[in-house]
Amino acid sequence: MSDDPAAGRPIYLDYAATTPVDARVAARMNECLTEEGCFGNPGSTSHAYGEAAREHVARARREVALAVGAAPDEVVFTSGATEADNLALFGIAHYYRDSGRHIVTARTEHKAVLDACRELERRGFRITFLTPDRSGRIAPSQVASAVCADTVLVSLMHVNNEIGVITDIPAVAAACAAAAPQARLHVDAAQSVGKCAVDFHAWGIDLLSLSAHKVYGPKGVGALVVSRRREVQLTPLLYGGGQERRLRSGTLATHQIVGMGEAFAIARSGPAAELERVARLKAQLLQGLQAIGGVLVNGDPEHSVPHILSVSIEGVEGESLLAAIRPAIAVSTGSACTSSEAEPSYVLRALGRDERLAEASLRLSFGRFSQERDIERAIVVVRHAVEHLRRIAGP
Amino acid sequence: MSYSELTRRYFEAAPCAGVLEGTRCVRGAAGHPTQGTWVQFDVEFDRGGERIERARFRAFGCPHVIAIAAWVAEQASGRAPEARLPESAAALRERFDVPVEKLGRLLIVEDAWAAVARAAARWMEARAAQGRSPEERESAVREATGREATTPLAAPSRQGH
Repeated sequence: MSDDPAAGRPIYLDYAATTPVDARVAARMNECLTEEGCFGNPGSTSHAYGEAAREHVARARREVALAVGAAPDEVVFTSGATEADNLALFGIAHYYRDSGRHIVTARTEHKAVLDACRELERRGFRITFLTPDRSGRIAPSQVASAVCADTVLVSLMHVNNEIGVITDIPAVAAACAAAAPQARLHVDAAQSVGKCAVDFHAWGIDLLSLSAHKVYGPKGVGALVVSRRREVQLTPLLYGGGQERRLRSGTLATHQIVGMGEAFAIARSGPAAELERVARLKAQLLQGLQAIGGVLVNGDPEHSVPHILSVSIEGVEGESLLAAIRPAIAVSTGSACTSSEAEPSYVLRALGRDERLAEASLRLSFGRFSQERDIERAIVVVRHAVEHLRRIAGP
Repeated sequence: MSYSELTRRYFEAAPCAGVLEGTRCVRGAAGHPTQGTWVQFDVEFDRGGERIERARFRAFGCPHVIAIAAWVAEQASGRAPEARLPESAAALRERFDVPVEKLGRLLIVEDAWAAVARAAARWMEARAAQGRSPEERESAVREATGREATTPLAAPSRQGH
């Protein structure tokens, strides 16, 4: 993204929070909005308008399924990954509540999973919150040890939204299947698509949460992929028209679904060179930041996605750090969903960072429109801010 | 979090950031970095020993803490050392548009200033004692500063850091 002063905007380095909608995606969405476009209700079976909209939705469904190795009829469109997570957790918990009342998850999950688990705890479910190692990873053996005959669901994210660490989902699935074959495996893959491989069937996943706006698609749309192979059953959250296999009632948001489909199609067909380019940007950024001194990397760089870099910076106060860099670069000090709460990141605390270091952390994430000059500028801005604050604080 | 223009200006420029050392300098501090806020003030007396010639600060804290500490240090020149800030904490809160939940941090700035004012009072007392007999002077200095009369005041202990 441009750092042209004429634009008057900071350099955007918060792609893990959200991405700008790709112009190709916006164009496809626009085709579904106005009178001359495909504005019909996909649920209308009595006329051509509805049929045309249905075709658009079907195409999007195919694209989403293809991107994650699932079948089209396994894709349930939702309002986003948060709803998908809630549908997975509450849906499984309620449907299988007579079979078991134990759920396994991790302390570093997104709030959409953690808060849902807390609510299920209040409703009588027992939740095991696994603690990752200092690199942020959950070992499959931890899952195997945590599950029991009462376990109905294991819910783990594929890519951590704050530190970018990748969980070995195939190994977790294998451990889960061996130790508790009755338990379903839910994976939040909101940060994965377009950044690393996701293979729903090959990996043995039962439920997969997806988001469009992390992949240059629109906000307000996502999906829960629900395995038909293992005949996963869910109690729906919404009742009404019975859309989406009766799992998610409500008129389908054609333009947003079409946007998600186009975004996933672009992500799937994107050149591998693009990922390599983003990985080079990350390496450049890491090298530049580490040259400042007192910069600690959060998570395991060897097992993380190429577009997220989380660092904690010694000797500076978190709010001042953000205030100092904010005019020039847009980054996150924690997950975007929790940064307004001004509390140290629970993810970084779970990794063993103390409160002050967790507060003095930056998540820099980049993507399709990030350029080398953006990274160079970001390094300069962070270095100046850190030096300024350390000079004020003294040795 | 958004900041007032005044807060941003003093946070970014941080006038008077630094330390002072010398025989006419004293130091006071409050808070601790591990608690999120730490402020230290150094003041240097004029040659008459009655007024503050200049002040410097160091701070680990949010932009409001840094801005207010910088402002307080800037305002100190030419004043007699007093335990009170140039403005009350409430007035400073209003001047810098500090959210009410940050009042505790502002009180650390106030405590740091009170600490340097106490150190200044001890220094002035010790200086006044220099006109007394060697025994009286030694005793007064020891009582006022906790140091031997021959120990320079140049490098006081770094309270709270």
